[in-house]
Parts: sequence; structure tokens; C-alpha cells
Amino acid sequence: MPSETTQTQNLISASDLTVIRQGRRVLDNVSLDIARDDFITLIGPNGAGKTVLLRHLLKLDKPDAGRVTHLSGLKVGYVPQRITIDPSLPISVRRFLTLNNSEKENDIATLAEETDITPLLDTPLSALSGGEMQRVLLTRALTSDPELLILDEPAQNLDVNGQLQFYTLIEEIYERRKLSILMVSHDLHLVMSSTRKVVCLYHHICCSGAPESVARDPEFISIFGNDMAKLMAVYPHTHSHDHTHEHTHDHDHGEGTT
Amino acid sequence: MMSAHIVLTTLALALVAGPLGCFVVWRRMAYFGDGLAHSALLGVAIGLVIGVSHQIGMMLIAVLFALTLIWLRAKRVLATDTLLGILAHAALSLGLVAMMLLGAGEAEVHDYLLGSLDKLTPELAAWVIGGCGLSLGLLLRFWPGLILMTTSEELAHAEGVPIMRYEFALMVLMGVVVAAAIQMVGILLITSLLIIPASSARLFARSPEAMAVSGSLLASLAMLLGLPLAQNFALATGPVIVCVSVALFILLLAARLLHRPQVS
Repeated sequence: MPSETTQTQNLISASDLTVIRQGRRVLDNVSLDIARDDFITLIGPNGAGKTVLLRHLLKLDKPDAGRVTHLSGLKVGYVPQRITIDPSLPISVRRFLTLNNSEKENDIATLAEETDITPLLDTPLSALSGGEMQRVLLTRALTSDPELLILDEPAQNLDVNGQLQFYTLIEEIYERRKLSILMVSHDLHLVMSSTRKVVCLYHHICCSGAPESVARDPEFISIFGNDMAKLMAVYPHTHSHDHTHEHTHDHDHGEGTT
Repeated sequence: MMSAHIVLTTLALALVAGPLGCFVVWRRMAYFGDGLAHSALLGVAIGLVIGVSHQIGMMLIAVLFALTLIWLRAKRVLATDTLLGILAHAALSLGLVAMMLLGAGEAEVHDYLLGSLDKLTPELAAWVIGGCGLSLGLLLRFWPGLILMTTSEELAHAEGVPIMRYEFALMVLMGVVVAAAIQMVGILLITSLLIIPASSARLFARSPEAMAVSGSLLASLAMLLGLPLAQNFALATGPVIVCVSVALFILLLAARLLHRPQVS
């Protein structure tokens, strides 16, 4: 779709992305729009191309085909899965938050309140626990006052309690700041209440739509199994042979599903 | 008494050794530095053959070394330290063979391996000081991005830091500083000039900047104490400087263990 401008007010619009790595189609004709106020949870098995897709949405890599368009002046905050700080690097949380940006001390204090890391500001970065580190990374992502947060399995390495706390914080920030969120996460059952849209990726977009409809999609069930589907399904009487739905394509265009 | 150009060269080297040494420690580039230093002799030989100065020859080889390493590493077949081992010793052996074929005496090779002040003319000193100043300027200019990249390459990349270029720049800067320092400290010990002061500084530094500045101070101290000692007792300069540097490290370590028993 070779048009030079975004027709809509989508923050990010990816159309027909194809990425070939060593002869394999890691992404196959993937289209995804991120609109204002979206809360999209991206799921998919390991090696499904989730991180590759994020990297292309962030415009860090160039696709072999297709295009990614950002709304002009779009500010994106990015939260990586985890970072490991070499203990030989002496750096406090406060300093880390002001690295390579124009953030002021005052703003940092306000942000730290929001993400509940005020007591950590003078702690060495290498001394943080997993949950504390993710909150610090989230704080850094917020320093640019982003319109969109992109998170790559942000709670992957946390225990159940830490996961709950982290997702609650994400939901609070989503409600308060009215920003959009795109998050890779396997903990769908924990983010269900906020997730507006689930996108299931396995090199192509298998299915997408509201969580409860995706849970009934045969392709979803074939990839994730019945247990996951049941865990996700809000409706207690959902069963896998429901024929009332089709692949719920939402407003996406040109998806690879047939 | 040391002449002025030697003192100035020493200070210039020490100044850049602080921050650059920090990156070597943080980013685990010590073996890379060693490999780079080993390749320097080949640079000298090439300089002799194509008729440019030793320093230019070494820098050319350093860039070639870094590019070859990046290229081989991207193939993802052999681990980086294996690649470095192959490259470093290939370059050292080639360099030694080339030097011998070119008729260099053992004394000359010895000087390159262990360092000497004999060939440090004022003209060369000016080159070395210039190279150090340029390297230091570049490090300072890109400091925040480099530190961010050191905390997480993924995050830095996502925030728009050109990490490939930064990494290559760090490698080349190391090549420049190694080439500049080799005359004085010698091929075998050059890496320690970078990592020992930075490691000593880490024992008490609370910020990256404090670690870099303390590293520079400690490197100055080691060199300004070591050089006269080496001259007075007619010893190779490299080993004496490193001995002083290690002594400072041990002193600081002891002080830290006594005063702050809990290592953070």
C-alpha cells in the first residue's frame, strides 16, 4: 500500500511487514495499527517473531517488504524485558534516569512518585531487585512523556506477586495518562481487565480482537491449547467449537490469514 | 629529571586512560585491548614497509583488527574470545616475523614489548598528546550515550543511540590510545595501564564520572611515580609503571576493606 502519509490518526501503522531471516519468513505480511487509547497485548509462542515485530514498529530494523509509519513527532517509551547491570558500573537510579535526555531533577521526583520508586533514587542500579528494576525502566520510558508505551515481556522475570504489582502499575498509568500501550506478554489472565485487544502472532497474525473472542478462535486454541483459552475466556460457557465467530480481524487490513 | 615533553605525554595518556579504562572494565573489553596491543608490532612492521610512522601503522592495524573482529563475530560461529585469541596471536606472530625479516634487533623488539622512553622524541610526544586529546574529546562528547549503551544496548538502541557506530568508535579509540601509549608502556602491559586505575577507582567511586576522573588521577600517579623509578634503576618502563599501579590498587583495596567492610 504505497501511500506516503497516514490516512488515519494511528500512532503507528504497520502494513504488510515481511521479514526474511536466513531464508525463513519470520514475519509474513503482518499489518498492525496502534491507535490512541489502545491497549494491545501481543502474544505468541517463543520464536513467533514478537520481538522482531517490536523492533520494526520501533523502526530499529528495516523490513524486507511492507512499511511502518509513525505519526509525525510521535514519542514512544520503550521498556525492555530486563537489563543486567555490570556491578563494575557505579550508577545510581537517579543518574540512570537522567542519562542522555533532558530530564530535570524535579521531573524525576514527580515521576518517581508515580511509579513508586522514590526510596530507590539513590540506590546503585546494580543493587535493584527484578521488580524494582522493571519499575525503574518503566520510569525511564515515561521521561519523554510518551504517547505510546511499548513493553517487551516486562514481567517475564518477576515472581507472581511482582507480576501482579507491575501490571497493576501499568494499568494505573494507562488510566491516568491516557496513553496507548503495546505489550508483549504471556500473562494474559493478569492483563485481561485492561487489554482492549489481543493480537496473536505466529509469523503471521493468527487472530486479533477482544480477548474473549480471540480465546474462541480455533487457530488460537491450536497454538496455545485449550487451557490457555479457558484461562482467558471471560464467558464461562465458552467452548472450542463455537461457530458463531470468524477470525476476528478488527479494523486491520491486509492480514496474512486466509 | 624527566624532560617536559615526557611529563606532558604521561599526563595526556593518564588523562584518557581514566575514562577509556572505565569502558574497558564496564564493557569487558580487556581481552580486546590485549589483542589490539599484540597486533601493534605488525603495525610497526607495516609502517616500516610502506614508509609511514610507527604510530600511523599501528592505528591502521588497529582499525583493521576491529573491523576483522566485528566481521568474524557477525558470523556467529566462534566465540569472541576465541576469535580474539586467533587474531591477536596471528598478528603478534606476523609482527615478530616481519620485524625480524626487516632486520630489527632483539633490543628494539624488547623495547616495543616492554616500553622505553628512548624513542619518545618531542615530535612523537606531540603526536601522542594530540591523539590522546582527540580521544578524550570524543569520549566526553558522546559520554551520556556511551554510558546508556553500557547499561543496556537494547534500551540505548531503542532510544536512538547508534550503538554499532558507538561500539566501533570505542574500538578505534582504544586503537588510538594503545598506539599512543605503546612506546612508553609496551605491548605486553598496555591493557593494565587502562584497567588497573579504573578498577582501583571503582573501589570508592559512586558515579561513572567519579570513576573516570579518579581513574585518570590514579593513572597519572602511577606513571609519574613509575617513570623516574624506571629511569633511576635503568629498568623497562612498562613493568615499573604497572607495579606502582598495582601497589595503589592494593592500598585502596585494603583501605576499603578496613573502612567499608560491606562491598556494594
